[in-house]
Amino acid sequence: MNKPHAIIIGGGFTGVATAHDLALRGFEVTLLERGDICHGTSGRTHGLLHSGGRYAVKDKESAIECIDENMILRKIVPDVLEQNGGLFIALNDSDLAYADDFEISCEACHISVERLTAEQALRLEPNLNPKLLMAFTVPDGTFDPLRLALAFAATAKSNGAKIMTFTEVTGLIVNGQAQVIGVKYMDRCTNKEYELRGDMVINATGAWAGEIAVMAGANVPVKPTPGVMVAFDRRLTQRVINRLNIPGDGDIVVPQRRMNVVGTTSFEVEDPDYVPITDDQIQAMVNRGSEMIPGLRSAKLRGSYMASRPLIGAGMGRSTARTFKCFDHKETDGVDGLVTITGGKATTLRVMAEKTADVVCEKLGINCPCITKEIPLLSYRQYYNNGIKEHV
Amino acid sequence: MSDIYNTPSRRRFLQWFNPLGRKEGSWGFSLNRITALGLTLYLYMHLVVLGLLARGPDAYDNFLALIHNPVFIFGEVLVVAAGFIHGLNGLRIALTSFGIAVPQQRSMLIVLMVIAGIASLIFAIRMFTA
Amino acid sequence: MSSEKWNVTFEVYRQVPGEKPHFDEFKLEVNPDEYVLDGIERIWAFWDRTLCFRHACHHSTCGACGMRVNGIEKLSCITLIRDVTHDGGKMRVEPLRNFPVVRDLAVDMGNFYLQMDAVHHRPVLPVSEASIEKPEETWSPEYDQYTRLSDCIECGLCISACPISGTDPNYLGPAVLAGAQQSGLSRSPQVMGLVDSENGLWRCHSVYECTAVCPSFVDPARRIMDLRKMVLVERVRRLFNRPTRTELRIEETRK
Repeated sequence: MNKPHAIIIGGGFTGVATAHDLALRGFEVTLLERGDICHGTSGRTHGLLHSGGRYAVKDKESAIECIDENMILRKIVPDVLEQNGGLFIALNDSDLAYADDFEISCEACHISVERLTAEQALRLEPNLNPKLLMAFTVPDGTFDPLRLALAFAATAKSNGAKIMTFTEVTGLIVNGQAQVIGVKYMDRCTNKEYELRGDMVINATGAWAGEIAVMAGANVPVKPTPGVMVAFDRRLTQRVINRLNIPGDGDIVVPQRRMNVVGTTSFEVEDPDYVPITDDQIQAMVNRGSEMIPGLRSAKLRGSYMASRPLIGAGMGRSTARTFKCFDHKETDGVDGLVTITGGKATTLRVMAEKTADVVCEKLGINCPCITKEIPLLSYRQYYNNGIKEHV
Repeated sequence: MSDIYNTPSRRRFLQWFNPLGRKEGSWGFSLNRITALGLTLYLYMHLVVLGLLARGPDAYDNFLALIHNPVFIFGEVLVVAAGFIHGLNGLRIALTSFGIAVPQQRSMLIVLMVIAGIASLIFAIRMFTA
Repeated sequence: MSSEKWNVTFEVYRQVPGEKPHFDEFKLEVNPDEYVLDGIERIWAFWDRTLCFRHACHHSTCGACGMRVNGIEKLSCITLIRDVTHDGGKMRVEPLRNFPVVRDLAVDMGNFYLQMDAVHHRPVLPVSEASIEKPEETWSPEYDQYTRLSDCIECGLCISACPISGTDPNYLGPAVLAGAQQSGLSRSPQVMGLVDSENGLWRCHSVYECTAVCPSFVDPARRIMDLRKMVLVERVRRLFNRPTRTELRIEETRK
């Protein structure tokens, strides 16, 4: 029996994780990305391996997803992670008032937290604001965005997936029965156009999902929602530092290599292709970050950038559910052969891929369970291994 | 595509001789390569001149007349300078090649080149006024 | 970030594989506190969608956006426009040297990545082994048990800047040699063979430009010289038929 051919559009976290899952389920997979791996939102993620603590109080579904996937990623791809944990710190009465709710909710979501006094917290992280009142430890971590994606892509490639970068999808091929049967694409290196047929097209373009879906007359209610990140040239903490309060702007500081990165904000735009950064956004992050880690105020800026989250549903900003959704366009728009996966967070990439692959298998009448929870990923550098054994 | 090895620079060896915009280490490298070529050229010329000795006293005396020409003396100053530059920089490279004083390699180059410059100047003065 | 506006002409290298390269000019109004990568992105977004370049994290952790700006290797996401040109000035942007050009500013670093695996460079290591400053006043002893991502972000700037890499495609290059030093000679017997060879660490001619352009504190030059010392010690051991570090380590793991 011929292998079913899945065409994935988008080389960010969702795309490569889905390629990995489907390759393991015996699919022939072709992934097309108009830039290189992680050119979109995925590259610019904060890099926080979520414990889920941030969502425990208001969005338990998201929180449980996060902590489960957090533990799985530590098992299958430790080479791209700094597994140093995190703290939620309270600096004022409003933060303190949140503590009990936070502790109960985390426990309800099986996120292991430990209450610390100010003294204990400052002993762990001497560069925190000395006025801090108390803290919780959480199993947060840091990941390297590009290398996390490359690890999934490397493993997918080793199982036969074909990954075509600098390849832009210019149209979806729809047959007479309102079914997507392939894609039209352009090789951006040579400027030549081609067609590719497949049994299912998976739209994994995140913030651009709406633009792709429209090529088949389908609709995806994804709103690009950028936020700013500011990286400093000093690393003042070993752990992730979060503000103990309801989620807000600039309340997460993620350490990575020799930097601390403060994020983020949230506002909607129409076009995620280019979002300019403004001085007031940077200043807001400097201020919020310095509240938790005073040393950041005198640290030099190393980089600052915008990343467009793909949030589902319009006009609700932060209160929009951060969990993901897989749209079967036959049900939503009467267009078969096309599935869109969007929303979600970087930490949940594997389960997003699992659910998408489940939907694809169900649509094609294939019975094949997901095994990505158990399979350790290859070294991310093997992404460049095109099957040639000797390299040096 | 990664069955293609790292491709060498399109300008290959010319990359050795352009230290503009680069730091001290690159300047030292370029100077070493240029002085090496210069000294090698000088060595060949020197052998040719010695060959003249084999042709008898007249041939050699004609040559001796040449060396008082200021252009020739200037050429010899360049050879002396090349010798100092290459030699002193060579010492620096020998030291750092085995991990000695690597963090000081930049200041070492500056100090040694100043010494080379002063030494060359002294020799130049002596050669032109002799 | 000031509210200044500069007019800068970007001269961008363009090349379709197999064809002759040329430069395209784009006149941009920029804030000098923006980064070179921001300018390149704007050129793609608003002027020329055919421009190909690589980028991912925009904060010097992925190593994808290395380019030559006015002839010198830079990580374009952290290079301020202010530092490379002036109001009314030009900025020449070219791809890294010594790698095959995929298209325009994007190069293929595949072989380099695989060589990093070959020398067993560790992408994540314990803080106790990371060569970072550990200031007494704020260093908690329990930090040593934590992990951090290696300084080397595999950006390739050092390989582009190295004239020896420019001369010979078989030279391992500063990043790979520095990676071997970081992992040590005892991780695998093949590493010694790779680095102690004519295309390995003896090919380094002490230019030190690798350390000068490294955006990530790796100091490859120092590591290569240190690796030479390590290799010499190994050679001497072998001369006296003492067990090598690799053999000792393999013995330990067997017990």
